Amino acid sequence: MSRDLLRQDEVRALVRDAYAAVDGRSRAVAEKLYSPDELALVPDAAADRALGVGNPFRHARIRPGDTVLDLGCGGGIDSILAARRTGPTGRVLALDFLPEMLERTAAAAREAGLENVESVEGEMEAIPLPDASVDYAVSNGVVNLSPRKARALAECARVLRPGGELCVADVTVEDEELPPEVLTHPAAWAG
Amino acid sequence: MAGALTERDFVRKLERAGFVEIEVLERTPMGIDDCALYPLFTDELLATMRLLIPAERLGRIATSAIVRARRA
Repeated sequence: MSRDLLRQDEVRALVRDAYAAVDGRSRAVAEKLYSPDELALVPDAAADRALGVGNPFRHARIRPGDTVLDLGCGGGIDSILAARRTGPTGRVLALDFLPEMLERTAAAAREAGLENVESVEGEMEAIPLPDASVDYAVSNGVVNLSPRKARALAECARVLRPGGELCVADVTVEDEELPPEVLTHPAAWAG
Repeated sequence: MAGALTERDFVRKLERAGFVEIEVLERTPMGIDDCALYPLFTDELLATMRLLIPAERLGRIATSAIVRARRA
């Protein structure tokens, strides 16, 4: 495959620039992925900024009191839903490498009246959390953005306690190559 | 999307990272119309995709998968 057509730092910069530039709001993605009951639990701003590719909460077995890591929190919709699941005795660690996204998630948590969502600035390939400090990890459309996916998944395993779980929604492709013009298009590395 | 793995490679990387009981619980096709929902896909990229990806693949350019795994 053509995974090395762009260098790691180029990919990281493309993703950073693309996500930082997203300021439009649309409910289309959220309405496609989440149920009305779930959307009723999140502020409009978080739903309108959803950019995930699936709904990991259909399968995530988060228990009350769990410490949950949201790997790449983006606009915050999954951090909010995780916070609802784990409840006031648990907490959500909302990780993102973009301060703009962390602020959006924090604002959504404040609007939702949630005090158990904590912002963690950092990259998924070097998660700034101790070993075995997380009970559950969720991720939505983020791992494909990493130029070092094996490292990101290894970091996720490191911070999970033994027996902890990861539930991830992400994009996969078939073996057939997409055209090089698509694979090397800057927007295709963020979208 | 350009950085997406095949499902096989994704599962393999999870295994190598130390995950077990890996289950692919959902597979949802992502076509060009799904891509167009996202502001990250620029009009130029969408036009390029429509031009260069065979018509029979435009309804399933990629797959949204939901995977659950347990840390050993």
